[in-house]
Formats: sequence, structure tokens, C-alpha cells
Amino acid sequence: MDKLEQLKNVWQKQEDCKITFSKDEIYIMMRQKSSSVVKWILIISILEFLLPNLFLLFTDHGSSADFYNKYSIATAMKFYFLVHFIIIIIFIYTFYKNYKNISAVSNVKELMQDIIKTRKTVKYYIYYNIAMAAIIGLHIFYKVFNSESFLETLPSNTNQITIWVVALLIFVFVLFIFWGIYRIIYGFFLKKLNKNYNELERTEYC
Amino acid sequence: MTKDLEHKFVAELEGNQNIIHKVCRTYTNNDAAHKDLFQEITIQLWKAYPKFRGDSKFSTWMYRVSLNTAISLYRKTKRQISTSPIYDNLKELEYEGYNDERDKQMDLLYKAIHSLNDIEKALALLYLEDKNYKEISNTLGISEVNARVKMNRTKTKLKNILNP
Repeated sequence: MDKLEQLKNVWQKQEDCKITFSKDEIYIMMRQKSSSVVKWILIISILEFLLPNLFLLFTDHGSSADFYNKYSIATAMKFYFLVHFIIIIIFIYTFYKNYKNISAVSNVKELMQDIIKTRKTVKYYIYYNIAMAAIIGLHIFYKVFNSESFLETLPSNTNQITIWVVALLIFVFVLFIFWGIYRIIYGFFLKKLNKNYNELERTEYC
Repeated sequence: MTKDLEHKFVAELEGNQNIIHKVCRTYTNNDAAHKDLFQEITIQLWKAYPKFRGDSKFSTWMYRVSLNTAISLYRKTKRQISTSPIYDNLKELEYEGYNDERDKQMDLLYKAIHSLNDIEKALALLYLEDKNYKEISNTLGISEVNARVKMNRTKTKLKNILNP
């Protein structure tokens, strides 16, 4: 009999574990707050859903309306806002449905899939927000840079292309920072889960 | 009644707590982390308990929730030093007259298990508990063929660690 078989026999003969908890201790434990990955994902996701829209709350609506009118983009902005609102509702509904599906009673692989799916919804939401910010940002840039009132303020020898390049660089830099922060949070919570999921998947294709 | 449900749950959990301890000892290597994981498993079990219909045995259901918590839901709160596990603290809680030789062998086995990855740990545990491939594939959510392949690899790995 090999060593492993021998140890298996010892294992199966083992009596009660060295540590045992009394009923009272179990009562206290079940009332504690969970610190599971899923709970943290929920908290972070809600923040992620709220954050992009908090910017809207703190903008001065009067002056931004004047700004939109000045560059004749008020109708376009209303359209963007409506689309944005509908899409957020769809995202939140999908997220909620995915979150409700997560159950510790599923098998190990299903549970991991459900958590990853929930996380993916938020990931797409972030991507969507970045894309939307890019579209609206470029639209505004375009309108402003082509307006006479802006062109008049520039020194006569300014190259239009230089302005565009600088504006785009700043824009890309801001996006990059957002993306970086996002990756750090995402990686922090799902590193272990992704590793285990890949391990479970690996031999399936071998 | 919630109170009745609570009493029933605690009674069943107390009687079957060995299962959770085995999972905890497989996935942690000091008693603070052991207790921490035990607590998280207890919370998850209690959360899922109202849906437990008794289709499977309480112990089988417990295994599933415990493994899921250890593999997917639990986040280690403290950094663990994997090179030098702290078993000394666990020993303080030993029963009097605990079989020394058996204890040594169990330590050896757990030390070997600790060098496996999370999925292999689950397989090692299911092997030691003598679960059949159907149950293993159901618990992990992989095909029986895949379960067999993975089990063989895990056993080989364990044997290599035990007989270097």
C-alpha cells in the first residue's frame, strides 16, 4: 500500500477535529457580517454605477445650458442624455438579475461563472461610459474648435492640428488613468477567482 | 418561525461541523484564518439554509457550500506565510491524549495538501472522503472524464510530495 493510501486510512479514522465550536459560538458567528468577494463586488459595483453620474449632479446646469446653446449642441445633448438613461436602466437590471443568480449552493464552476458574469456587466458598463464620454467629448471639441468665437481668441499663427493633438492627448491620458484605476480594483477582487476558474477549465480542452 | 429554523440549523451544523473544519484546515494554515473561514462558511450556510429542501444529505450540501466559500467567496484577510505554516497554535487546542503518531501523519498529509492549488485541494479532500467521480463532477461542475484526469494528476502530485 502506498503512502497516500495509508494516509487516507488514517484520515478516515480520524476522530473529531481538534477545534470544535459550541452552539453559542455558532450563534454568534452566523450573525456576523459576511466579507465574501460577492459582497465587495456588490458594493464596488454600486459605486461604479453611481460615480459616472455624480459628475452630472455637480455640473452647473444653467451655465452648461448656455454653453450648449452657444455652440448649438443642445438638441444633441438631450439625445445623448436620453440614450444614456435608457442604457443605464438596462445595465442595472442585468446586473441585478446576475447578482440574484449567485448562489453558494451551485456547483463550484457555476458559482465562479455567475460571479464573473456579474462582474462583466459592470466592466461593460465602464467601457460604455468611457465610449460615451469619448463620443460626447469629441462632439463638443469639434463644435467648439470650429466655432468662430473660439477661432477668434487664438493667436493668428496657431496651427489647428496642434490644438487637436494636444486635446486628444489630454483626453487619452484621462481615459488611461480611469482604466488603470479600474484594472487595479478589478484585479484585486478577482485574481484568485480567475486563477481557479482557469484551472478548472484547463483540462476540459486537453 | 425564524427561531425554530435557527435552532434546527445550529443543531445540525454543530453535529456536522467536522466537515467545515476539514475544509478550513485544507485551505488555511493558521488558526486565525481557520476561524475566519469557518465563520464565513457558517454565514453562507445560514444564508442558503432556507432553500435547503433536504433533496441531498445535509452533509453533502454542507460540503458544497463550504468548498464554494473556500474556493470562490473567501478572501484571505491576512497575508499567510506559505513557507512556514503555523501549526503550533492549533496544537494548543488539541484534545488530551490525542494520538501522537496519527497526529504526525495528519500534519504530514495537510502539509502536502497545502502545496496544491485551490482546485487540487478540493480534489484531494474529495478523494480522502472517498467520494465517487459522479459526486466529484457534480460538486465541481466538470465532466466525469475531466474529474478523473484532474484526480489522477492531483494524486500523482501528492504522492511525489510525500515520497520525494
